[in-house]
Amino acid sequence: MAEKRDVVIIGGGPNGLVAACYLAKAGLRPVVLEKRNVVGGIAVTEEFAPGFKASSVLHATGPFLPSIARDLGLEKHGLSFIQTEVRVFAPAPDGRSITLYSDAARTARELERVSAHDAKGYLSFQDTLGRIGKVLEPLLTMTPPSIDDPSLSELWQLLGVGRKFRGLPRRDAFRLLRWGPMAIADLVAEFFETELLRSIVAARGIYGTSAGPWSAGTSLGLILQAASDSNAAGPATFVRGGMGALTQALAAAARGLGAEVRTGSTVARVVTKDGAATGVVLSTGEDVPARAVVSNADPKRTLLGLVDPVDLDPDFLHKIRNYRASGSIAKVHLALSGLPEFSALRSAGGNASGTLSGRIHIGPDIDYLERAHDAAKYGDFSPHPYCDVTIPTVTDPSLAPSGKHVMSVVAQFAPYKLKGDWNAKREALGDAVVDAIAAYAPNLKGLVAHRQVLTPVDLEETYGLTGGHVFHGEPALDQLFTMRPLLGWAQYRTPIRGLYLCGSGTHPGGGVTGAPGANASREIQKDLRGR
Amino acid sequence: MSAKYDVIVIGGGHNGLVHAAYLAKAGKKVLVLERRHVVGGAAVTEEVFPGFKFSVCSYVVSLLRPEIIRDLDLPRHGLEILPLDGTFTPMLNGDYLWRVNDHGKTRREIARHSKLDADAYDEYGKAMADMGRFVKPILSMTPPDPTKLTLKGLQDLLFLGKRFQQLSGEDKYNQVQLMTMSAVDFLDQWFETDVLKATMSASGIIGTFLGVRSPGTAYVLLHHYMGEIDGAFRSWGFARGGTGAISDAIADAAREAGVEIRTKTPIAKIKLVNGKAKGVVLENGDEIDATVMSSSVDPRLTFMKMIGESELPGDFVEDIQRYKFRGSSGKVNLALDALPDFKSIPGPGAHLRGAMSISPSVEYMERAYDDAKYGRFSRRPYIDMVIPTLTDPSLAPPGKHVMSCFVQYAPYKLKDTDWDKEKENFGDTVIDTIAEHAPNIKSIIKHRQIVTPLDLEREWGLSEGNIFQGELSLEQLFFLRPAPGWAQYRTPIKNLYMCGSATHPGGGIMGANGKNAAEKLLEDWKRGKV
Repeated sequence: MAEKRDVVIIGGGPNGLVAACYLAKAGLRPVVLEKRNVVGGIAVTEEFAPGFKASSVLHATGPFLPSIARDLGLEKHGLSFIQTEVRVFAPAPDGRSITLYSDAARTARELERVSAHDAKGYLSFQDTLGRIGKVLEPLLTMTPPSIDDPSLSELWQLLGVGRKFRGLPRRDAFRLLRWGPMAIADLVAEFFETELLRSIVAARGIYGTSAGPWSAGTSLGLILQAASDSNAAGPATFVRGGMGALTQALAAAARGLGAEVRTGSTVARVVTKDGAATGVVLSTGEDVPARAVVSNADPKRTLLGLVDPVDLDPDFLHKIRNYRASGSIAKVHLALSGLPEFSALRSAGGNASGTLSGRIHIGPDIDYLERAHDAAKYGDFSPHPYCDVTIPTVTDPSLAPSGKHVMSVVAQFAPYKLKGDWNAKREALGDAVVDAIAAYAPNLKGLVAHRQVLTPVDLEETYGLTGGHVFHGEPALDQLFTMRPLLGWAQYRTPIRGLYLCGSGTHPGGGVTGAPGANASREIQKDLRGR
Repeated sequence: MSAKYDVIVIGGGHNGLVHAAYLAKAGKKVLVLERRHVVGGAAVTEEVFPGFKFSVCSYVVSLLRPEIIRDLDLPRHGLEILPLDGTFTPMLNGDYLWRVNDHGKTRREIARHSKLDADAYDEYGKAMADMGRFVKPILSMTPPDPTKLTLKGLQDLLFLGKRFQQLSGEDKYNQVQLMTMSAVDFLDQWFETDVLKATMSASGIIGTFLGVRSPGTAYVLLHHYMGEIDGAFRSWGFARGGTGAISDAIADAAREAGVEIRTKTPIAKIKLVNGKAKGVVLENGDEIDATVMSSSVDPRLTFMKMIGESELPGDFVEDIQRYKFRGSSGKVNLALDALPDFKSIPGPGAHLRGAMSISPSVEYMERAYDDAKYGRFSRRPYIDMVIPTLTDPSLAPPGKHVMSCFVQYAPYKLKDTDWDKEKENFGDTVIDTIAEHAPNIKSIIKHRQIVTPLDLEREWGLSEGNIFQGELSLEQLFFLRPAPGWAQYRTPIKNLYMCGSATHPGGGIMGANGKNAAEKLLEDWKRGKV
């Protein structure tokens, strides 16, 4: 009979590995079981064409919480973040462009040329976001309070947030309250008059979701990001060697701390006895008994796919089935024989590559983003998609043969529920994406040596994301904080004793911050110490 | 010298009248000033064509607070509510969905579309009734200010918190979803029949610039389960004599309590003496003084027109300028020679006595919204129709009928054109849409009155034609309505109060705004704050 582990972790994504590290640090002996032959989940670097590597799913961190990187000494294991001065470059159809920098003051100076009003607006937006971010920051690393009987410590933590909230200038306090449910299109209009600038900021609210800028509640995404990175331009934190380098460092750290990390090990199901989890069984039939089972997989895959339905009451099953996790993004990787030339940067000449070192925003105005979403509502991919583009090789040449480049594109909207078959439409989507970018960089098509298109279905099949949802479920008002994944089940526990969730389907949600894994490990330790 | 009146109520809409009545009953000397020739604001009955009377704007009753009906003894003043039985939704495939107040019938009808949905319909009804009971007290409470909690405010929040705690886990879950989800997402969890979801979700978008898939639209589903007429839970109805009869009854009650009401008395300005409201200046130049002004018109008119930016704090001005109106609906009122003849249920029948809803599918509703987003009226709009003459023949000559069509979306701001140009095209689009389901409509129309958002603004003083005096979206509700920090019926101007739909709990013929505001004002008065 196999030796009994303290904790078995299903899935070696960022959060599973973070949880493993903290549990091992606490002296428990966790084993991570990863289905694929490489750890990393959605944070993985893979070769998509001979000599060309890309971050397969997400190409930037949320950002990853510095506190966790410090706790686990990830630098020692080769992790190095790339924080570019240019955060976003956005070309406009008229050949002009807007560049947003890490330094808000510099951004404002540049915006002066476009609109004095917006330069002023940008600074006040940055100030408010900064203050609001500070209020919300503690929420990231906190376990959402229980609704039915909040414990003293939970109330105390909330009180802390409440005090911070009362500390806000009255105007910001009301903004925080007003913004949550607001459509981000309305929010940006309160600060900016330039359509392109509105669109850049608004895009942060719809990134990875099934919502357009006119959907109410889209401002929330931006507010939550402010908690981890309050820069008005949005996070642009990359990893040297691609996102895979982050999870490789995490795996190394985990092993260093005494955790076992196994790849090529597919968990078939969670084993339960008297309604409590006692371990897992692998597809090979191998038993892995453990005191606790932690799933880094999304809530639906875990609770509808890996456990026996008889262990859950029908009402709970009904709710989990209704948990919204229908993906909306596709990923496109281009192997380029050279650096694309953006019309807007012709004059810039030399420093062009510098300008392309951050994220590149393709989406000229609010209506463009909204129309892109409209298509998805009726089951088509956007003929003119919104694209979040990076050229990682600008800052990290190691990802491509010398002189060559990689372009990584998160393209929205590509609805998981498509009218028709994704396999039949994959290349058509790829063309739409390349066209959308080529409209601003005419020489792009000529540079494309190879192209990889990952549809939501590919994301589901290869990376185990239910519905191809990169955040393990919509980050909507009714699926966040005390309601993520479900009201009453936001404390990383499940109705099955000893079975926990630690992925993006738990608070504070997706985006490779590591926070869900860290928070979950804290709750698990409480219980294991208790028992 | 003491003012001639204690209170001048600006605007004789239903809220202004309710407000005035409660103040008068408390012994205040109240004057109501109405710009138009008739009281009622958007709750009016007007003889638009000889012999044909229309509830020109608002056309059904549901949320008129029962305590107001009691307190003001409205039945004695002529209020009589006639039932509006059910909702009939014709579909494009020739089928239909017909829900009536008889639960058994409705269940059988839904079962015709889906057995599962028929079962779900019961649970849904129960759940919504619970939710309705939870939310109801909120309607009659003054929103606390979360940034500077007084003891009272804290008590109110705790009260809400407790109530929430007391809900069953199931109800908590539903409540949270109702406050945050889109109508369609919410209904998706209960039902599978598309047309059922489409028709039900329609109530979530009325008067808003949102689509049935926009988060925040689920909440309004509740209102349909909170409607109470003579206690009959969640039934909707007409007032005999049209919606104007409600305003007339309230006005009558107000007069009896000693309120003086003047029509055709437009106000130009609110008179300020060192920052305090002292009276009003009429458009004819006359001045009337009073201790307190209470405005039932929307904030833009009250503050931007009758006060002026220079007199107000900058933050407040910003908030009022940002306050979203964005009218999204219009009305088409038809004088008919005969009854419409629907393809799906030919001939006259009970299905014509209730609401007839053109909302054949969720995609239809969503596409109607898409048009509006880009600045045009829906090519195929959502239409909610009623034929009050079937229950109240007094509204038209013998044998003739009036049909009221509420139409969405009709965005106030049109792209590259304007409502004066589009008015008739809009009317045609509505008629064509109805004709797809009731082909005889074109041949039975005697007259048609088209009410665009621009008309609502010009004639009824609703800024941007918003029928609720401002969008009912989450960020403009409760302690955020109409402006953050000013949700307690007071304003930055001393002795100027608000009592219209732009205050909590928002639009619809509830009267709660006017009543809540009156209580707040009287409280301040007692505390010597006036």
